[in-house]
Amino acid sequence: MTKFRTEITKGDEIRYVSHLDYASLMERAIRRAKLPVAYSEGFNPHMKISFASALAVGVTSAAEYMDIELKEPVAEDVFCDRLRQALPKGVKLLRAKMFEGKQKAMMAIVDLAEYTVQIPLTGDQAAICEAVQAYNLAPTIMYTRRTPKSCKEVEIKQYMQESVQVAFVNEMIVFTMKTKITPAGSVKPGEILQVFKTQFSMPILEDEALIHRTGLYAGGQTPIDLV
Amino acid sequence: MVKLDPAMIHAVNKPARYTGNEFNAIQKDHAQVQCTFALALPDVYEVGMSNLGLKILYEILNKRGDTAAERVYTPWIDMEAKMRENKIPLYSLETFTPLSQFDFVGFSLQYEMIYTNILNMLDLANIPLFAAERKDSDPFIVGGGPCVYNTEPIAEFFDFFIVGEGEEIIVEVVECYIQWKKDGCAQGRQGLLKRLAILDGIYVPSFYAVQYNAENLIESVLPIYPEARSLVQKRVVKNMDTVTFVENPVVPYIDIVHDRIMLELFRGCTRGCRFCQAGISYRPVRERTPEQLRALAKQLVASTGYDEMALTSLSSADYSCLGEFVTDIMEDFKNEKLALSLPSLRIDSFSIELAHKLQQVRKSGLTFAPEAGTQRLRDVINKGVTEENLEQAVRSAFENGWNTVKLYFMMGLPTETDEDIIGIARLAQKVVDLYREVTGKRGARVTVSVACFVPKPYTPFQWFPQNTQEEFARKQKLLKEHIRDRAIQFNYHDANISYLEGAITRGDRRLSKVIYEAFKQGAKFDGWSELFRNDIWMKAFETCGIDPTFYNQRERSKSELLPWEHVTPGVNKEFLLREYHHALKEELTEDCRRGKCSACGVCPNLDVKVVDWGKRHD
Repeated sequence: MTKFRTEITKGDEIRYVSHLDYASLMERAIRRAKLPVAYSEGFNPHMKISFASALAVGVTSAAEYMDIELKEPVAEDVFCDRLRQALPKGVKLLRAKMFEGKQKAMMAIVDLAEYTVQIPLTGDQAAICEAVQAYNLAPTIMYTRRTPKSCKEVEIKQYMQESVQVAFVNEMIVFTMKTKITPAGSVKPGEILQVFKTQFSMPILEDEALIHRTGLYAGGQTPIDLV
Repeated sequence: MVKLDPAMIHAVNKPARYTGNEFNAIQKDHAQVQCTFALALPDVYEVGMSNLGLKILYEILNKRGDTAAERVYTPWIDMEAKMRENKIPLYSLETFTPLSQFDFVGFSLQYEMIYTNILNMLDLANIPLFAAERKDSDPFIVGGGPCVYNTEPIAEFFDFFIVGEGEEIIVEVVECYIQWKKDGCAQGRQGLLKRLAILDGIYVPSFYAVQYNAENLIESVLPIYPEARSLVQKRVVKNMDTVTFVENPVVPYIDIVHDRIMLELFRGCTRGCRFCQAGISYRPVRERTPEQLRALAKQLVASTGYDEMALTSLSSADYSCLGEFVTDIMEDFKNEKLALSLPSLRIDSFSIELAHKLQQVRKSGLTFAPEAGTQRLRDVINKGVTEENLEQAVRSAFENGWNTVKLYFMMGLPTETDEDIIGIARLAQKVVDLYREVTGKRGARVTVSVACFVPKPYTPFQWFPQNTQEEFARKQKLLKEHIRDRAIQFNYHDANISYLEGAITRGDRRLSKVIYEAFKQGAKFDGWSELFRNDIWMKAFETCGIDPTFYNQRERSKSELLPWEHVTPGVNKEFLLREYHHALKEELTEDCRRGKCSACGVCPNLDVKVVDWGKRHD
């Protein structure tokens, strides 16, 4: 049983594709690449691929990780060439590494995500910095997470790995966020922006935010360096 | 180039409908081409992206180095509101170019209930709605597709129409345009229209004058320019094997209605169902060779990565080489987990066994269309299906493990009596009972869907009055009362939508103002029952002083000049009349594909022949 772990991107061109649709566009690319991919048994066979962490609609990423199981070995360069030719705009294959044997599912081991968030600067810089500082200093922050079906109170500071950093570049606000991914849950950058605005009165147009995942780690290493 | 604000796009449902960049989408630099052509389907992305005709034209146009073809669909109402609020004009999905900057905007006319969407799209694109108001800088607005056999109700909004199959004529239109441009756009817009009007299959509505008589009927439709033909006949592809088919279709990122490869086995259907417009307008039957289809299938799987392929046609099970072809293609793809489906099943056990072979193992349900509840009425409409056929097909389906059957019917057919309506309930009950007989268990699920019949131009029923809404309502109630088994689910259509469709489909040019008025009052997505606003439409008819029943519920005299007769799919009026009389006498007409020619006139009129490879071995 041969597996490949890949480091891929989700670019601006496909920013608004959901995680589920991202998975199926990768399936189609793998079929176009004519890679000898393995399928599950049974009535409704599924391609054996898996991802490290789902990405929200509207978020781009330079650090997506996908495992592919193959029925037979393929040389690393052949694998990369074929897959690259079949990828749609917006997905780049950065690295691929063949590995044998069992590895824990990436979904179960990733524990840290890094993001940059860019928003056009429209408010007062000092007020933005103050709000960030207040956010960073607060010991706990309660956030109400709403889904179509439920409404839940979540303490989000427990999911912050480090303080949020802020910089101002070319009339843009640039936040850097590092969030923990735990079995109990995590916090999304979009949620942090909402908290900035509603609980810390930060003058930002959070709807204009362009969120980009820059890194995903497990125990301090990228998933691809683990194999 | 249109730029989308993240806040705006983030606020709408399914934003990937509006952001393009799909695999196989073709982006060209407009400065490097001679002609730009927007291909529009006036419905939402998921519907528009599923249309095979536009995929074919996209491929043909983009194969040309001098032409860029791009896609555009109707934004859903949430996106439309955002676009209007932010003053974003309607744009193409390839290069985000405003529609108003294209040389041509072509609309695919799939059904009458999307006509207001056409106006809405033109309005969103800042293109004048009426052809007469367009300036030299505006695109040419062209229509084509199934509704092209009566475009009179929308004639005033279009510069010209392409009648019939577009594969060859679209290229002639583009070449004519490029030449006209080289000639310094001689004589302006009129100049190009005059050059186009002489091509086979081009209808320029503004080149014809319509006169009405004292009874409000059409007195004459006459060309007012020498370039305009007195009769425009459809274009038809003679050899399906040599014409370009889709080889590199755009692969969407989101689920669309037909999210799979569509492999067109053949064009046309000559079973001769008398209510069916497609059965007339796509004549004659022309098959692709199995060799060609196998090669296309390989190419399509390689270029898309889809794991599902539908074998499409008006009645796929009629493909002469189907059994052999399915075996071959399953062999070709045995290592690739390709699911094959056959979307139009015939009512016989051959179809069921084939469906079983195709391993549609999910047994999600089979759909049959007996169309009418009694043998008498099925003979009237020339639906060559007997109760024994249905019994055998359903029995075979139940034996092969299915338990869900959908049955499609129509109500309001000519000569229909209450007995025919009750016959629908009886037939459904028979299917439920058959399940018990075959399997010894309960558990069949039978869905009965009954549409309200809309008589269409160029069918033997084109003279026939549509039922009133009250009559439809009464029949729906009657049928409901006769369906007593809880295993049967009964669905029926909104008679108001069918009433409107009935008025427009056999309408004339005077309806343009009604459609315009309805659009102005907010009608859009009229085919979507949750958005259909009957009140707006009825008000629009009233405002314009037009009675819809003149168009849908009036029995037309056989001598009346019908509004659509100057544009034809090539069928003779005598044939339609003959079929009408056969219908009243409950007489059947044979399928000319393998049986006797019924002299519809299409082959001689268009110089084309039936192509059926089953005959090759004889």
